[in-house]
Amino acid sequence: MISPYYYQLLVIASINVIMALSLNLVTGCAGQLALGHAAFMGIGAYTAGILTSVYHVPFAVALVAGAAVAALFGLIVGLPTLRLKGDYLAIATLGFGEIIRVAILNMGITGGPFGLRGISKHTNLTLAVAAAVLAYLTMKRLMNSRFGRALTAIREDEVAAVAMGIDATRHKVLAFVISAAWAGIAGGLFAHWFRYLHPSSFAFSASVEILSMVVLGGMESLEGPVLGAAALTYAPELLRGVSDFVSRHRMMFYGALLVIMMLVRPQGLIGSGVKGLSISKLGRIHGVVRLPQMERVTQWLTAAKQRKHLNDSSVSTDSRVVEERLAGLGMSSGTGSRGTGIGSGGGEEHAGS
Amino acid sequence: MKSMNHMFDAHKNHTGTRPDGRKGDNGRNKGKKFWFSSLFTAGIALVLAAAMFLAGCAGSQSKERSGQADGGDKVIKIGMVGPLTGDYATYGQSVRDGVQTAIDEINAEGGVNGYTLQLIAEDSRGESTEAANAVQKLIDQDKVTAIVGAVLSGETATVAPIAQDAGVLLITPSSTAPGLTEVGDYIFRNVITDDVQARQLAEYAVSQLGCRKFAVLYANNDYGVALRDNFTSKVEEMGASVVAVESYLDGDEDFRAQLTKIGSDIDALYIAGYYTEAAKIAQQARRQGIAATLLGADGFYSEKLVELGGEAVEGSVFTAGFYSGDASEAVQTFVSNYKQKYSQEPDMFAANAYDTMKIIAQALAKAGNDRAALKDEMYSVKDYPGITGNTSFDANGEAVKDVVFLKVENGKFVRAD
Amino acid sequence: MLQQVVNGLTLGSSYALIALGYTMVYGVLRLINFAHGEIYMVGALIGLMTSQAAGLPFAPAMVTAMAGAAIVGVIVERIAYRPLRKAPRLAVLISAIGMSIFLRNLALAVMGPQTRAFPIPFEVKQFSTGRFRMSSFDVLILLTSIALMIGLHFLVQNTKIGKAMRAAAEDKETASLMGINVNRVIAFTFAVGSALAAAAGVLIGMNFNAVDPSMGMMPGLKGFTAAVLGGVGSIPGAMLGGILLGMAEVMGVALLKSEWRDAIAFGILALVLLVKPSGILGRNVQEKV
Repeated sequence: MISPYYYQLLVIASINVIMALSLNLVTGCAGQLALGHAAFMGIGAYTAGILTSVYHVPFAVALVAGAAVAALFGLIVGLPTLRLKGDYLAIATLGFGEIIRVAILNMGITGGPFGLRGISKHTNLTLAVAAAVLAYLTMKRLMNSRFGRALTAIREDEVAAVAMGIDATRHKVLAFVISAAWAGIAGGLFAHWFRYLHPSSFAFSASVEILSMVVLGGMESLEGPVLGAAALTYAPELLRGVSDFVSRHRMMFYGALLVIMMLVRPQGLIGSGVKGLSISKLGRIHGVVRLPQMERVTQWLTAAKQRKHLNDSSVSTDSRVVEERLAGLGMSSGTGSRGTGIGSGGGEEHAGS
Repeated sequence: MKSMNHMFDAHKNHTGTRPDGRKGDNGRNKGKKFWFSSLFTAGIALVLAAAMFLAGCAGSQSKERSGQADGGDKVIKIGMVGPLTGDYATYGQSVRDGVQTAIDEINAEGGVNGYTLQLIAEDSRGESTEAANAVQKLIDQDKVTAIVGAVLSGETATVAPIAQDAGVLLITPSSTAPGLTEVGDYIFRNVITDDVQARQLAEYAVSQLGCRKFAVLYANNDYGVALRDNFTSKVEEMGASVVAVESYLDGDEDFRAQLTKIGSDIDALYIAGYYTEAAKIAQQARRQGIAATLLGADGFYSEKLVELGGEAVEGSVFTAGFYSGDASEAVQTFVSNYKQKYSQEPDMFAANAYDTMKIIAQALAKAGNDRAALKDEMYSVKDYPGITGNTSFDANGEAVKDVVFLKVENGKFVRAD
Repeated sequence: MLQQVVNGLTLGSSYALIALGYTMVYGVLRLINFAHGEIYMVGALIGLMTSQAAGLPFAPAMVTAMAGAAIVGVIVERIAYRPLRKAPRLAVLISAIGMSIFLRNLALAVMGPQTRAFPIPFEVKQFSTGRFRMSSFDVLILLTSIALMIGLHFLVQNTKIGKAMRAAAEDKETASLMGINVNRVIAFTFAVGSALAAAAGVLIGMNFNAVDPSMGMMPGLKGFTAAVLGGVGSIPGAMLGGILLGMAEVMGVALLKSEWRDAIAFGILALVLLVKPSGILGRNVQEKV
């Protein structure tokens, strides 16, 4: 039989896989950097833990309730913040994450700074792995759905996506809510494995660790976060006693890892090794982006025109812009464009002016 | 390690061949691709599980072999877990060094019943999950007989159920949160608890120092909150009053808003927190014209209090479980051994850890290298004369210890009673 | 209450000092320098080392700290930001966060987790006029932040390099076509921003007599909040935002409960971002993609 030590590591790895996959939906697929992901795990963990230990609710119900409450908070946080972009979104989610943590710290029912004790053990390896596999399959289906393609379009170029009739905010919020729900499930599993919860487990540094997992493995695939989560769960244990220096300064290496990955392999360990390849190209290679036929794009455009009640002249320019952007995206199949520039424009391009 | 490398290599081969093989046939290969990816992920999971399993087997085998090489049963392994890195590293390192000092002394005197003691210290980085992994490793891979730790209360609350389930003695020399030992009969604590020291200080301040009007400024963590509650209730029991209660977070720098709110019309300010913040609070309080006596708990016990606080902490009174200036031979031996090895003054963490290890060794000598017998023996420890005063354990595994009152005088700690 | 206003003013002026650096860098690069809080810490550390180990008096120690931090800032820009100038926004953000974590833990590895004392090397006077008290050092911080604000404003508006900075902020490509060395302008911006952070680090480190590796995290976030509140990119905005945030925090403690202090600060941040992301004095910039 597998030793309890490795059994526990596999349970933690499974929980981390769920966390990484759920963050990946928002950060990897939709391209929105969220820095408070651990807070949703905390909400799920505390909700489920309080339900089973204080109110003696069955574990399965508590787990689902944890996910529901986390999703609700995802909605509350996501609705206002996801209208923000880039840096602002990152800071806003960080701020909300800290507010949630301070709230847990100052509430009576959570045990406050003493933590929540007396939770019974319900999580086992089978359940944790099953949940991780389910999370993977859910994300896989999402990615291959119309919804997933819309998220990818938003990540690549939000203006073009909106012009094609995608309600960007709605899609982003929905992704955020689904992501929070899965983080809540991971939290519930966490609570009923360790039997003790403390607010410090869900602080900013925890969110950074999850982000590191996603970035290390690769944001453009689903295998990336899985690999990243597994590797960053196991590597520190592997380093115990082996290399004192590395294990002593682990956080320093996490920081360096994030920088180096961005410089050298922004697509993560998994992903094509060709440097400088745009995300859209990678997305196509990995089957994240399904290429719609040009006809469908035209249909979208017509629909977009009608929806937006645009006058003729602006439509013509707008559609030209959109077509250019689509070309850049590599979505118009014939051009063979590599799609540099677009989605990587940073702050350079003025849009809609 | 080898299997991990292999995994990455195998993967690179996959991605290397993929782009060419599937150019322009996205639609047709949809189903195939889905299954390919699923298989791929299942593969990762399997390889990972296998890697861990094999590493586990290899690990335990090599451990068994090394045990035999050391002379079979002649080594007793003692585990230690706590933050050796990160923001709380000072505390964990002190505990580790305290235990090591005790083990060195014991081994120098011939060990326990002919056994040599060996310390295996694992880092928790101050995080509960890491602490849990470390304790599982100590129990399963290293097969330790007893564990000294964890250091922070949150860590101890997480690892206590694990040690209890495995039937391994776990004794924390520093976690003061109430109720930790209630997890089970294998869980002990050898440190004065927050309620004891807060209540005794309240009594001392009212009856000996003659203070009537108190304010409490507490760190918003388990330590600060437990001290606040017990101090406040005892002060009120004694017929004095607490006129203001304010909080801060560890790492805060500016306490002026809280201090202004508290005001200068108080006899004593109880700072329920650690020395770094206490020193800053003291300085800002003096600048705001608060002349009240500063009171504290064992979180004050560090030379850093005076180094950072300077004049402002002069005259402060606090409780502690250990006093390194004590003239007794046991204390002076410990202090000189510790200083010689680590070239710094031992703090209360090191002192408690040292005593804890000595108590375990004494129990081991009677019970032998057996986890269950060792646990039973611990309950019969009565008035062990250590460097932190006389120690006994009650039916819950809580240490019953003496509290000393210390005072800052001319930049040095002296006994106040 | 009057004393609380003074408390808010002094706390606010330290936030303002940090916010000025954020605003500088953001104004030119449209990039939030996540590592700014860490550069503030590095500046305080260098100041501590030069004034204690090398025994320099206050002013030279301050100058060395500012110069040292400027060098660190330029190196950070060179390594973590410049190669990614054309990369997706997400990549730059992650790189910036990585840099911040790296610097904090590097300092932890070098100096250990212990807090170091950083005494003020000269006599500090206490002003007390019955109702409130203020130290001469608090006044120094307040005056320094005002002086730096005016200096910065002059630098950006009235000097040649300032003109180049504004041009680069407007449009990097056009600016480079006009013969402006954009890389040098950006490096200069980082140097100035980092020097400001170091000045703040040394002053605040001395005021609280404490320097430690994690000291940059919270002030970094609060300084950022202040910059956003006042309007990122606006120099007087940073000053205003800092003072307002300091006031809000202190009044939160004075009127509400001190447990919620940080939640109040982040609540304000969230509110500003939602209601008026451009901040109080910020220009409403056309949304960029």
